[in-house]
Amino acid sequence: MELLEPEILLQMLINGLLAGALYALLAGGLNLIFGVMRVINIAHAEFMLIGAFGAYVLFNVFGLHPLFSLLIIVPIIFVVGYYFQRVLIERVVDRPMLTSLLATYGVSIILINVGLLIFSSDFKSVPVLQGSFLIGDLAVSKPRAVAGLVSLVLSVGVYLFLDRTRLGKAVRAVSEHAQVAQICGIDVRQIRMLTFGMAAAMAGAAGVMLSIIYSFWPGSGVDFIQKCFAIIIIGGMGNFVGALYGGILLGVVESFVGGFISTQWAEAVAYLLLVTVLLVRPTGLKGVARA
Amino acid sequence: MPENDQRSISFWAGTVLVGLALLAPFGVNEYYQSFLLQVFLVIALAQAWNLISGMTGYVSFGHAAFFGVGAYTGALFLTWGYPWWIAIFNGAGIAALIAVPLGFLTLRLRGPYFAIAMLGLNEVGRIVATLWVSVTKGGTGLPLPPSLLPSLDITYFMMLSLALGATLLIAWVHRSRFGLELRAIREDEEAAEMVGVNTTRNKVTAFVLSALIPGAVGAVYAMYTSYINPASAFDPARNIEMIVVVLFGGSGTVWGPIIGAATVMFLREMLWAQFPAAHLAALGVLLLIVVLYLPGGLVSIVRERHRERPDARPGESP
Repeated sequence: MELLEPEILLQMLINGLLAGALYALLAGGLNLIFGVMRVINIAHAEFMLIGAFGAYVLFNVFGLHPLFSLLIIVPIIFVVGYYFQRVLIERVVDRPMLTSLLATYGVSIILINVGLLIFSSDFKSVPVLQGSFLIGDLAVSKPRAVAGLVSLVLSVGVYLFLDRTRLGKAVRAVSEHAQVAQICGIDVRQIRMLTFGMAAAMAGAAGVMLSIIYSFWPGSGVDFIQKCFAIIIIGGMGNFVGALYGGILLGVVESFVGGFISTQWAEAVAYLLLVTVLLVRPTGLKGVARA
Repeated sequence: MPENDQRSISFWAGTVLVGLALLAPFGVNEYYQSFLLQVFLVIALAQAWNLISGMTGYVSFGHAAFFGVGAYTGALFLTWGYPWWIAIFNGAGIAALIAVPLGFLTLRLRGPYFAIAMLGLNEVGRIVATLWVSVTKGGTGLPLPPSLLPSLDITYFMMLSLALGATLLIAWVHRSRFGLELRAIREDEEAAEMVGVNTTRNKVTAFVLSALIPGAVGAVYAMYTSYINPASAFDPARNIEMIVVVLFGGSGTVWGPIIGAATVMFLREMLWAQFPAAHLAALGVLLLIVVLYLPGGLVSIVRERHRERPDARPGESP
């Protein structure tokens, strides 16, 4: 079996890890929102696509490299997310989970179709990096390597922010128990807006990175949100670090399934994992949510 | 308004509407007949969604998958030479058969988790229809031989009877013990279980019934368009329409989906026919408005004056 040669296995592993880092960044944001306000943001992947289309526009209009447009797009999406929370999610945050689910579903429908009106349903891409890095016998495609590493750095950055700073501690406190956090003098409303802004920015950054690896169209979100759900359920709903592990796990599994079976099956892996875990342990492998 | 008056108004309004619908093919041209047929299609689908999601509060984001399954089953049976009514029965039957194990598996999950598990179902259906080339012909789609197709009048009356049947089913469920138990599940599943409601059996029954209707509708739709492919059978737009129509009209009620379907279809025809994306974006806005400001839907505007609380608030039960 050619496939079982160590170089090829290593190659698949690296590709999987790099793809997984991108998933981790995306799903980490989704899980942050869920942890802090028990809202499942169905529109999360559309925030990612805002980042991807932002990179596309900046590249085509100003010739800006996506790594630079990251510096413009991420702050903008942060502000958008912040006010999005203030205007919309604050209204549904205390209502039952299905209400916020329907509200974000509405937002997702609006964003997808406005995207279709502006960008049509053609696939877009930002072809800035070509070729591969050669390390010994391994060939790692440049765009994948850059996207994976940037995503990893950003995810670790957010983790350090949550772990080390006072503000991050406040976010974790609200996530653990909002009322107690409020009593301790934390402005819960402010923390929720900050969290949503941060999560949206993470999704946007993931979108910019996505734009250099894949081609995308306004409807691409469906596949990604499905993967995100699988990831946060594997990693535990509301558990930020769990989402990072879950994302990397999914990336690796997809890579191996794609290598050994077929890439079409790799697309189905997330859904199968999602349904299996939901059935075996509805609260996820390490979750805070109660079913 | 006393209960009896309301019931008789419902009855007479329903009778008049059905009478008009029966006479319509003799009075209007084919364009309007087609339009009415599509309104019935949306009403039937909306009532099916209403049964599982409006009554039990289990929001299904992937229900259009059953429509797609029905469309393919119907189309295949027709091309294999069976008469159209057998094709429709099989469309409904296969959709329901798929719903049985699916229901037993996914309805163990509580509301939001069920919603997540269902979100991708329509997409999965589309992928399967694309990849299973030996049966479905993949992306090229299935054309139906014109010689085997029933006439527009027959498809019209089939669709009308499906919409009517689905509505009567909801009306019956609404008044039956079964419906009461479903609403008990929506309000508080644990409490319902505690007082002896067999929650699993009720939920799965509602789910299977609500899959059966789209199955039949899908088969009729295949005959109406005489060609289906994965994108038209598993259209995400249909999925969205189904949900928005019910919530907009008033979920958990008998009239809500009818009023919602009529309004949304009228708006689509008048305003957005040229821009499908604008139509869907507008549906998204409608959904937001309903969720934020009008949880009981249009029906609740009339009802609120007479009752303390509207029938249903999707997702408002814990």
